[in-house]
Amino acid sequence: MNILSKMTGKKIAFYIIFVAVWQLVASVDIWPNTIFPSPFEVAEDLVYSAADGSLFFGIGTSMWRLVVGLAIAILGGMILGIFMARVEVVNQTIGSLVLGLQSIPSVAWVPLAIVWFGLTDAGIIFVTAVGAIFAVTINTYSGVKNIDPNYIAAARNMGAKGGQLITEVLIPAAFPYMISGFKQGWAFAWRGVIGAELLFSFLGLGFLLNVGRQLSDVSLVIAIMLVVMGIGILIDGFVFKRIENNVMSRWGLR
Amino acid sequence: MVKFEARNITKNYQHEKYQVEALGGINLKVNEGDFVCIVGPSGCGKSTFLRIAAGLENPDEGQILFAGKQVTGTGPERIMVFQEGALFPWLKVSDNVEFGLKIAGVPKEKRSEISSRYLDMMQLTKFADSYTYQLSTGMKQRVAIARALAMDPDVLLMDEPFAALDAQTRDLLLVEMQLIWEKTKKTILFVTHNVAEAVVLGNKVVLFSNRPGVVKKEFSIDASRPRLLEDESLLKFQQQILAELRPEVRKTSR
Repeated sequence: MNILSKMTGKKIAFYIIFVAVWQLVASVDIWPNTIFPSPFEVAEDLVYSAADGSLFFGIGTSMWRLVVGLAIAILGGMILGIFMARVEVVNQTIGSLVLGLQSIPSVAWVPLAIVWFGLTDAGIIFVTAVGAIFAVTINTYSGVKNIDPNYIAAARNMGAKGGQLITEVLIPAAFPYMISGFKQGWAFAWRGVIGAELLFSFLGLGFLLNVGRQLSDVSLVIAIMLVVMGIGILIDGFVFKRIENNVMSRWGLR
Repeated sequence: MVKFEARNITKNYQHEKYQVEALGGINLKVNEGDFVCIVGPSGCGKSTFLRIAAGLENPDEGQILFAGKQVTGTGPERIMVFQEGALFPWLKVSDNVEFGLKIAGVPKEKRSEISSRYLDMMQLTKFADSYTYQLSTGMKQRVAIARALAMDPDVLLMDEPFAALDAQTRDLLLVEMQLIWEKTKKTILFVTHNVAEAVVLGNKVVLFSNRPGVVKKEFSIDASRPRLLEDESLLKFQQQILAELRPEVRKTSR
């Protein structure tokens, strides 16, 4: 507890200094305020957009798209990864394609998304899901491949096969790997949502970024960027870290 | 009555460029309620034979018969205890013991009743809610035995289950294992490389030859129970078996 409070103390000190230096640089007037706003102006825009509700509406819209896209990616990635790990033919064929597809940045799917789905939520969700699915697939694959063969032998010996083998053994045994796949997948998905919204959406945080740019409202742009970052930190810390800690302590890996 | 029978079991492995003949025609009859220990030089295929007996691997030739009928694949009448226990780290001790029953669709109430009975028998009641990393190696093997017994198999297949234990823990488990056998009247096939362990546990000891493994000789161990490693009455059996085993071990080092 002492160490923890020491660490948060250092963090708080760092951010106070960071904001102070920012304020200082902004007030020296090297650049005009329209290009380099002060932290006070950014905070003001944050408060305005919160007060008129547009911020929360943007957050809600982006989160909804993220959750649906990520759910599709996690489900699809797990199924694909398990098949790749258990069926050699699938690994040799689809597996090689997955490695290639993983190297495509999610925004590169935007043109296809527009052609296939139009300027709709489905298009954004498509970009989100496709950006995250291969990270989940590859981690699930490694996880299942690395299962102690004795676990599978013992389970088969006790009568587990087919769907039961998957849900009762393969998924829980591969979970420590899969959780890092989910973490990577979520990070890719979040980038994908914001990127896609920036390029072709109405509504959502990415759209608000675009509004800020069009109005030359740099403080709004920075405010929204801070929100995107803040949500990232919160989800990572409160959702994935928790699941990870839970699994790791149960396995005695921590 | 013959409970378990192996007829002319052969098994070859393709090891890179050359073929390894692991089993060269194993013939073995095990009567109901027998405690049979299989010893042999390392690499003689005794563990392979046990996996074939469990149905986890298929023989190249030959048959496994249970109660006079040929069996293929795994079955709840033949349950294996693995060398390292192969307990599932994502489950609590009690859920590990209940695993096979859950797969078989036994209702929760009945499952907990069975698991608490066997955990009690193995003196593990206190650890029912622990995870496996919290257990010592000896306790893990006790859980593994409880998990196998919970399936109520007719034949218990044990693959060097005490090999990783320290001497004192092994000493305790050798006594416990005899009590379990007397209490449950199970038919047991127990693979070990340790002749002293084999004569303590078995009422029969089967000696495998060097690769390709065949049954070289069977010994009846007629000594009163419970037996201890240091019992003088067991010495002559050890000497007889070691006299036959040594030439086989020498062959492996040639």
